[in-house]
Amino acid sequence: MPGVIAILCRCCGQIEPAVDLQALRERIGREAGVVSVEFRDSLCLPEDGAAIVKAVESSGADRILLAACSPYGKAGDVVSALCARGIDRSRVRLVDIREGCAWIHRGDQTGATAKACDLLCMGLGFLRYGGCSTDAVVAVRPECLVAGAGSAGLAAAVSIARAGFQVHLVERAAEGGGMLKLISRVYPTDVEAAEKLRPYLEEVERNPRIAFHPKTRVVSATGFAGDFKVRLASVTGDVNVRVGAVILATGAGVWLPRGLYRYGELKEVLTLMELERRQREGKTAAKRSVFIQCVGARCPERPYCATMCCPSSIKNAVLLRKADPDAEVTILYRDIMTPGHILERYYRSALEAGVRFIRFDPAQPPVVSGDGHVERVEVFDAISGVKREIETDQVVLSTPLVANADNAKLSELFHVPLDGYGFFREDYSLHPLETRQGGIFICGSARWPVSSAEAATQGEGAAMKALAILGRKEISALSLSRLPEGKLGHARIEDGACSGCGNCVAVCPYDACTLQRVGGAFVSRANKMRCRACGSCTAVCPNGTVQMPEHNARAVGAMIRRAFAEGDAG
Amino acid sequence: MNAHGMTDKTTTPRVLVFACRWCALVGADAAGRGRADLPASFRVIPVECAAMVEPDSVLRALASGADGVAVMGCHLGGCRFNDANHVALKRMEALGDLLDTVGIGRRRLLLSFGAAHEGRQFTEVLGAFFRELAPLPSLAAWRKTLLNQPSFR
Amino acid sequence: MSETLKTIREKAENLLAGGLADGVLCLGRDRFNVVQPRLFRKAEEIASLEIEPKWNLAKLAMQTLRALEKSFRLTVVCRGCDERALLELGKRNQIDAARMTTLSYTCGREQAEACLCARPYPENPAAGEKIAGVDPFGDPRFAGPLAGDDDTRMARWTGLLSRCLKCYGCRNACPICVCTPCKLEDDLWVERSAVPAEMIPYHLIRAFHLSDTCVACGACQDACPVGIPLLALQLVMRRSLREKYGYEAGLQADRKSPLLMDFEHASPVGLTLPAWTVSSEAPHER
Repeated sequence: MPGVIAILCRCCGQIEPAVDLQALRERIGREAGVVSVEFRDSLCLPEDGAAIVKAVESSGADRILLAACSPYGKAGDVVSALCARGIDRSRVRLVDIREGCAWIHRGDQTGATAKACDLLCMGLGFLRYGGCSTDAVVAVRPECLVAGAGSAGLAAAVSIARAGFQVHLVERAAEGGGMLKLISRVYPTDVEAAEKLRPYLEEVERNPRIAFHPKTRVVSATGFAGDFKVRLASVTGDVNVRVGAVILATGAGVWLPRGLYRYGELKEVLTLMELERRQREGKTAAKRSVFIQCVGARCPERPYCATMCCPSSIKNAVLLRKADPDAEVTILYRDIMTPGHILERYYRSALEAGVRFIRFDPAQPPVVSGDGHVERVEVFDAISGVKREIETDQVVLSTPLVANADNAKLSELFHVPLDGYGFFREDYSLHPLETRQGGIFICGSARWPVSSAEAATQGEGAAMKALAILGRKEISALSLSRLPEGKLGHARIEDGACSGCGNCVAVCPYDACTLQRVGGAFVSRANKMRCRACGSCTAVCPNGTVQMPEHNARAVGAMIRRAFAEGDAG
Repeated sequence: MNAHGMTDKTTTPRVLVFACRWCALVGADAAGRGRADLPASFRVIPVECAAMVEPDSVLRALASGADGVAVMGCHLGGCRFNDANHVALKRMEALGDLLDTVGIGRRRLLLSFGAAHEGRQFTEVLGAFFRELAPLPSLAAWRKTLLNQPSFR
Repeated sequence: MSETLKTIREKAENLLAGGLADGVLCLGRDRFNVVQPRLFRKAEEIASLEIEPKWNLAKLAMQTLRALEKSFRLTVVCRGCDERALLELGKRNQIDAARMTTLSYTCGREQAEACLCARPYPENPAAGEKIAGVDPFGDPRFAGPLAGDDDTRMARWTGLLSRCLKCYGCRNACPICVCTPCKLEDDLWVERSAVPAEMIPYHLIRAFHLSDTCVACGACQDACPVGIPLLALQLVMRRSLREKYGYEAGLQADRKSPLLMDFEHASPVGLTLPAWTVSSEAPHER
């Protein structure tokens, strides 16, 4: 029966004398199942790779135990190189006896050698029981679902279609355009919003690869990266689509400042959105206007800055001044957020255009008053320390964008978590635009409030991410990993042993486990494509039904038993 | 007597460390590269995530010669597997309650989530653990006594 | 005959006579005067229905439901602890709550004190008056296994658990222990044919598996032939869950154990983790 070859690396003299390699060799040689023990001066030099393979082949061993340096350094590369030569990863075990033993216990040769022996025995125990996950390969559907036809969704859809893939662009409204349909002009170019949208909408119309589904909602979604099955519902009936990737670009919602600054009580107290509508409809502007910034933002309920209200107010203030040079326009602000040189210039142009800026402290907010119709705003000027009274015909409240009311439903359907404010949660800072679920991406204000230009940029970014999947003919479960060296393995559920308790379903961060009815009972099934091999399920399964072959209980148990030579043996 | 105030013969506590390879294992590695000085009576089992460590394995370790077990993972919010370490921490804390109940004591279970990423941190954390375990009775000896009692095998 | 028994008999009889239930699971006195579990199918049989002694029927109810046809409507007569056990079994998908109803009753003072039960009543009893429970931590009889410092407790528990015959009675009697195969019969975890069962691998593994599902029914220690106070193993864990998370097994049908949920969905009382970047380190200095 084949056995294990143990290769002890001297690391060019860096391991001895802290660890007595001769003693180690004798000890390991006595272990059952070890067919050969060899010394090498190094494992990592260019000529070593072939020599190791040759040694393995001539020993007849089918598993390799390497005692060398740390997995983070050269030894890790050695293992990778061996695997690249066709040796199964589950048949190689690296034990660190340099950084993890010789270097850290230099003064204690007895202890260090005993530890090295134990570490190697642990490695042997692991090799005996370590297994290998069977991969699953799925054909990738070369189509993409984009939910939301606003700035972000349109940009994403157009990018994907131009790259040659079919897009299903789903929009709950009757037309595309999203929030740009509600505003008059876009900052900082002051181009008309409709103009901005036109090329995208025309492309949607024209490009045969974009299937536009207006007045449609997503009602169910199952599957995984490469093959999502999504059901779309509209008044004309339901449609089922199968797509390789999903982009959520559902935008954000507008927040109404009820109860603040006499909104809803006094005439001509408006939100920015309402002002935009008037501009679009060409209604006559008020002679005197006061903008109040940070209404309902940067407060305990919504402690964030929505980034767009300052440039938007500046834009509208300048437009009012341009339309009527006698108009009096004042912006009451806490801080002016116009990052970057372009927006800085935009801000300064407002000053040049005659817009007045007055700073207030949030502890002393402006007071809006009037009788039926707004008449004046009192504000304590935080910079000059003077209380000012501004007579006005109109008060415009800048409110933040808030999460779209549909996010919660979509979050549930796609198993994509939301953050504390209801926006879709991005996965960890290393993976922009990605969510916890592979194959599902987020962009635009669905992710976090942004301007239409930024939303379009993110839309193209999400498209790039989606294309990385769509462009493949097939995808294997083990390759669906954000770790550079691939996934360790995936969860495997033993037939007939599952009691259906649901613990694994509850703890999986990726909703990879589901309970299915088999006969009269429930049994858990693990989806290999969604599983990321974190091992959470294995730790909560009461009877060890779910295991990861690469780190199964028997292998770990063997390591634990052999960790201290005076513990259990075998 | 070594720098940790312990004799490093058989009285040195034996510790089994489950180290997440994204943080604590890197710390252990760095401790080695920095030529730190720790007692040779600990062994490290690398895991993909602290979530992968079964509490039953911790119990198994305590029954197999370990005087203490350390479970080291990433700080909450920093897990590569999106909050998988939250459940791990909670379950290990519950295990601590059980260990307290029977007198083995939660002192024998070290939970370090986010405190052992660097060499110096790893050395400090493990060193402190050794110092805590030093005055405690040896679990291995206790078990040997139990196994030597008359019984049916 | 106690009022409670009278009420239960009446209600059970009405259920069967009225065709509202196909069977009532309870204790019955047979013709040899032995009291044991029985599935009553006819109203006439109810005269021999008994509710003493304490006998946990939750597991039996689960097994009965599995053995009977799908359309069988079962009523289980149960105490508070049984009702909680049934709830936990429902949460773990072992029982279809829709196929079963309960006829529950409260325990008297004697029983509550014998079990050191903090909650000797079901939520909505069909019979009996709810009485205040006993706090096991405040009771001198309970102080025994949990008293003293670590070393004292360890010596005591080592002694107690060395009586173990490895009869698996505790595991068999426990309503929550339903796994087949069971880890405790796997040589990887528990050495075969070694008696007594080793404290850590057998008893502590089982105790930990029940950390968030034990309903403190005491069936384990009732079944133990050598009188090990097994319930005491669970109480500190249960108290922690109650104090930290407001969670008690057997009481909340729609709430999953906090030990299966991240800190955002189940956070300890008084601790908030507002943003994912806020780190909370378990203290390593004690």
